[in-house]
Amino acid sequence: MFGFVPRPIAEMPWQIICITLGIAGFGVVVLYSAAGGSLSPWAGTHAIRFSVFLIMALVIRLFNEDFIKLWTYPGYIVVAVLLLLVELVGAVKGGSQRWIDLGFIRLQPSEVMKPLVVLALARFYELLPIGQARNWRAVWPPLVIMGIPFALVMTQPDLGTSIAIVTGGVTVMFLAGVPLRLFIGAGLAGAAFVPVAYFFLLKEYQQNRVLTFLDPESDPLGTGYHISQSKIAIGSGGISGKGYLQGSQNQLEYLPEGHTDFVFATMAEEWGLIGGLVVIGLFALLLRWATFVSLNAPGRFGKLAGGGLTMVIFFYIAINLLMVTGLAPVVGIPLPFLSYGGSSMMTIMICIGLLMGIAHNTRQSSGSGGRVID
Amino acid sequence: MTALASGSHRVRLASKRQHMTLTAQVRLVAVLALFGIGVGAILLRLTFIGVFGEQAQAATRSALVDPGRGDIVDRNGVPLARTINGYAIRVVPERLIGDRKVLAGKLAQIFPDTSEERFLKLLSRTKPTYLRHRAVPEEVNRVHALGEVGIEFPREKERFYPQLQLAAHVLGYVHPDGHGVSGMERAMDAELIDPKLRLTPSALSIDIRVQAALEDELGRAMKSYDAKAAAGVVLDVETGEVMAMTSLPSFNPNQFDASSAAFEANQVTYRFFELGSTFKPLTVAAAIDAGTVTDLSRRYDASRPLRVGGFQIRDSHSSGRWLNVPETLVHSSNIVTAQIADELGPERLQAVMRKLHFDRPAEINLRETVKPLWPASWGRLTNMTVGYGHGIAVSPLHLASAYAAMVNGGVYRPATLLKLAPRDVPRGERVFKASTSARMNQLLRMIVRDGTGRKAEAPGFRVGGKTGSAEKPGAGGYKRSSVVATFAAVFPMDAPRFVVLIMIDEPAGNQASSFQRTAGWTAAPVVARLVPRIGPMLGIIPDDRRDVDVSELMPLLWKAPVKAAAKTKSEDPA
Repeated sequence: MFGFVPRPIAEMPWQIICITLGIAGFGVVVLYSAAGGSLSPWAGTHAIRFSVFLIMALVIRLFNEDFIKLWTYPGYIVVAVLLLLVELVGAVKGGSQRWIDLGFIRLQPSEVMKPLVVLALARFYELLPIGQARNWRAVWPPLVIMGIPFALVMTQPDLGTSIAIVTGGVTVMFLAGVPLRLFIGAGLAGAAFVPVAYFFLLKEYQQNRVLTFLDPESDPLGTGYHISQSKIAIGSGGISGKGYLQGSQNQLEYLPEGHTDFVFATMAEEWGLIGGLVVIGLFALLLRWATFVSLNAPGRFGKLAGGGLTMVIFFYIAINLLMVTGLAPVVGIPLPFLSYGGSSMMTIMICIGLLMGIAHNTRQSSGSGGRVID
Repeated sequence: MTALASGSHRVRLASKRQHMTLTAQVRLVAVLALFGIGVGAILLRLTFIGVFGEQAQAATRSALVDPGRGDIVDRNGVPLARTINGYAIRVVPERLIGDRKVLAGKLAQIFPDTSEERFLKLLSRTKPTYLRHRAVPEEVNRVHALGEVGIEFPREKERFYPQLQLAAHVLGYVHPDGHGVSGMERAMDAELIDPKLRLTPSALSIDIRVQAALEDELGRAMKSYDAKAAAGVVLDVETGEVMAMTSLPSFNPNQFDASSAAFEANQVTYRFFELGSTFKPLTVAAAIDAGTVTDLSRRYDASRPLRVGGFQIRDSHSSGRWLNVPETLVHSSNIVTAQIADELGPERLQAVMRKLHFDRPAEINLRETVKPLWPASWGRLTNMTVGYGHGIAVSPLHLASAYAAMVNGGVYRPATLLKLAPRDVPRGERVFKASTSARMNQLLRMIVRDGTGRKAEAPGFRVGGKTGSAEKPGAGGYKRSSVVATFAAVFPMDAPRFVVLIMIDEPAGNQASSFQRTAGWTAAPVVARLVPRIGPMLGIIPDDRRDVDVSELMPLLWKAPVKAAAKTKSEDPA
């Protein structure tokens, strides 16, 4: 079809590039408004960051699958050590710390851990001899692989990220064929464990957030403020919104975190339900693409990793949107491509890059006859 | 055997691998379904929030926290209306821990204007209820000190009028829905709400210092004469800008309630009155302008009432002699003014009245304007009565604008409550010749120097003006005892800059006014006290060496012999 276009360019994954460009571009537009009609401090940086990370993702795409497999375990171990380091530095400096200042970048190891756990588990199940999948030996090593970062991130404390790590990992286990009864059993045990966790593991502010989630109006000026203001912002947008640069909740800074976690509310106030539908529609396209990458991947590693990475992306989108619409507690999960913030965008773009790589491999192994998803 | 075994093993492995792949595919589809469900749930929730249920609530709530209304300032930038962060006091009854009755008692102590029973009723509701909007911090602290966890103090944006009652009718007030109800809040609602325009304060033409002086003097006069109401306006004759405008009794726009609603009508623009003798200079000006009065020394018969058809026109205090034009105005003779109007004729008087916009609602930015009571048929008799201000009813602002046109060289300009840049001043429409205007300035000054307006004299300020005391129409004719006393003043007369219109509704005489109700005794003294206060603020410096030259007209005034002068002093100026 595009015979006149040079092959390397024609083979670029244009579909997914367009989708992510669309959402991130809209993000720039929204952040421009969130700053009261200014490129600084957010919109400009957001655009530059996205461009850098998109190039990074396109580079990751070209990594050989064997190369990725080779570096999965070493990478996992290095980042786990970094996580431990962060914990130690935080303990020395006092207070909770989540990042290591390398001078030129503030590296947040917990973010890189999300795709790495997925890769590590996918690698584990790939290497696991066939026939052992329903064995106890197929279950405990993954639990350790997930458990170490989970425990470390949980003590930071960062509930949202630790759950994200587990969600990605559990998805890989699920796809790998671990018996369903184990998931059901774990689910029941988890349900029983929730009250215990609530009273003994969560910090007070986290307990408050959960409480407030259950009844946001109980404390409209305290912890419930986020949710109440967010719902007001979305509700006052109505169907077509108040118009660009006209959102009062955000312009008057009633909406806290209007440029990060609650950016969707900022957007919905000005663009209304229509803006919301467009954003969610683009996310749905993204998830559909990612799931089909996994479905079409010929290798076990690609299939499992693809599914897990897709779940990580979905986790971000779903938890954030459920949070701003008041269906989930405020856990501090940003919305991919729209929220301002480098770490989360890097995580998402690593996932996208890896998924593009999997699609690239699928295409190369199946020749030109396969389904074109790349 | 081994080959067979390994072969079957390989087949088993292959089928297992196939099985595993199938499992992964099936489970991936399950994950995809989960994505679908997740996206669907979010979409449903979003639609619910965006379209149904909470939208209305959210809209009103966001209106409460964000009225987004621009400030209003006076011509010098003094704030008149601002939007501030206030406190509300709200109770969530289900969280109350103390005894409601005790709490109601304590609240009633903090807010004496609300009864204990009322508070108990509010506290006994099941839903969260507002106890108070716009509470001051001190009250909030006292309620907070009660230590009741069921009471909270949400912040609210509130419209605040720092000048309290001052210029209340000019400003109006704002409904809790965020839109102006009256005054400039209503007239400029769109501009005040506009997100771009509301960032800069809107400057009114009002000078709050002049406004304060006007309200002070007028309020004092109203109280001392035990009058029903009063109104006043100070108008720039060259631009039409209103420097001050008041209608008393006033209200406090910060606490607009049922009791203030009775005083909501702006009497300067929203009510009309028969303004009586203050019309006479307009009639004379029209006659001079039209050329029917060419000789000011010509005398008209005022020795006996004038009979027109079955109607008698009389002077309230007959001079019993023939009067020339200056004397007519100085003594305010109805009989002569009627004759002058008659000579002028209905068409020409009507034309001037129309040019002065007496046939349409007062021209000003306010929305509260009234259409004058314009005579249905303008016959000979009507023409004569209109000449001395009866049979036609206009708002005080109409009259102020007409006086401005008469003294500023003859050009009518609409009044405005917005501060005008020099280039925005309208060109206006010519009503009188400049020569007529100059002549009228002499005559108005003579009325204050030697006529019914003597009590309006403010030394050095060269005040001119005309009294008007119209009996109010009541059941079965005019009531002698209820008078609308008006004084239309201009200063400084040698180079007119401002019109001051004072109107007192139904003054009762007191000792200071020698128990007189008429304008010369009630409204004119207000001008005499007001002009020295506001003159310097408006850039008019008192100067004894300056005045409009009236030397050519003074000989026309017949001076009573010394003996009779004592008698004239007690004469009732009307």
